[in-house]
Amino acid sequence: MNCDDASVRMAAYCDGELDAVASADVERHAAGCARCGQQRAALLDLGKRIREEVPYHTAPKSLRERLMAPASTAPRVRGPWRWAGLGAAFGAAATALAIFVAGEVLQRNEHDALSRQVVANHVRSSLTGQRVAVISSDRHTVKPWLSARLDFAPPVKDLAEKGYSLEGARIEALDGHAVAALVYRHRNHTIDVFVRPESGADVPPSVHTFRGFNVARARGAEMAMWIVSDLNVEELTAFAADIAHRE
Amino acid sequence: MRESASNTRFAEVVLPHLDAAYNYARWLTRNAQDAEDVVQEACVRGLRYFGGFRGDNARTWFLAVVRNACFDWLRRNRPAEVTVVDERTLEAFPAPARLVPEQHAIERAEALALSQAVAALPLTFREVVILRELEELSYKEIARIADIPIGTVMSRLARARALLAHSPLLRAVGESAAGGTR
Repeated sequence: MNCDDASVRMAAYCDGELDAVASADVERHAAGCARCGQQRAALLDLGKRIREEVPYHTAPKSLRERLMAPASTAPRVRGPWRWAGLGAAFGAAATALAIFVAGEVLQRNEHDALSRQVVANHVRSSLTGQRVAVISSDRHTVKPWLSARLDFAPPVKDLAEKGYSLEGARIEALDGHAVAALVYRHRNHTIDVFVRPESGADVPPSVHTFRGFNVARARGAEMAMWIVSDLNVEELTAFAADIAHRE
Repeated sequence: MRESASNTRFAEVVLPHLDAAYNYARWLTRNAQDAEDVVQEACVRGLRYFGGFRGDNARTWFLAVVRNACFDWLRRNRPAEVTVVDERTLEAFPAPARLVPEQHAIERAEALALSQAVAALPLTFREVVILRELEELSYKEIARIADIPIGTVMSRLARARALLAHSPLLRAVGESAAGGTR
């Protein structure tokens, strides 16, 4: 591969759009070519800076309230927007989610049912804005808070050095049992980690997609864990492995 | 009864992507209140067209609805922003003159400068940067949302990144930082 070929492919390489073979070709060339190496470094740096420094605007409470409001009480907005029925639809969705959480939806296999509950919990906590009941990035605060409210002591890890900051925790229900829900943040992604005791050998994380969210399941140190986020599969798998790893 | 089941399913499918929708609309309109209006309108439209949704990627589908609502809103309220549509015109688009920093801008944090540089990008460039870097979508997904060929996604991204890299705002901050360490 020469400089022209590498240069044309550099952006696609940095965006993870090249297949393994083409990626390796670009990498090999960039390793031995100062100009292309510099181009790669500049592109990667710009992407990293945008993700870190340009704010991600999450939907404000006022918008959620507008969408959730019953049709009759929904505030009229400027302009000729049609509005009937939306509030009712979103209200019904909240009810439907509550039903999933209560575990009343019969599923053919337990794995699916749990993923459904895990995703429903994750979505509901973000919709209601109640992501954390205890706000702390200090695991020595979060762990005792959880232990005091559960009949087990969930492991709480500090993964800030790897870019996963602990935001806090809450208690959730999974299959009718109280479980710990640890909340981490990575760039603009929220990650919920649901933990409950489960005996058996360690199981490495396996990830599947449910309703547009990635759900990783793992077992480590006698704890079953479900990790749910809209984070991509690769990073979520790596995070899940760190979380489940026996210390 | 059937309608209410469809409404419920719509809300279940769409609500999880509300943050993505709002962030996209917020960066396109550059205004919090306008973004709320646009997302609300997108929900109304989405609800109406949801019966036609057969795909597996609800986020892409909903972001495309948000984009249409956004561009309609911009055409009505800020027509000047959406008049530049010809790719050749876009290629010739100069680095915006109004990015030349005032004295106080030079002293601002680099992070702020980068956000301002992104906000100052022309609409079509701004949106690919937001979809690619903040939503972390693939070229294919961006192409589907913006209804353009993948090649156009790549050329717009390249142009957007070049504009950012050469933004006078960022350069000024870089120079003042370099000057400060001397």
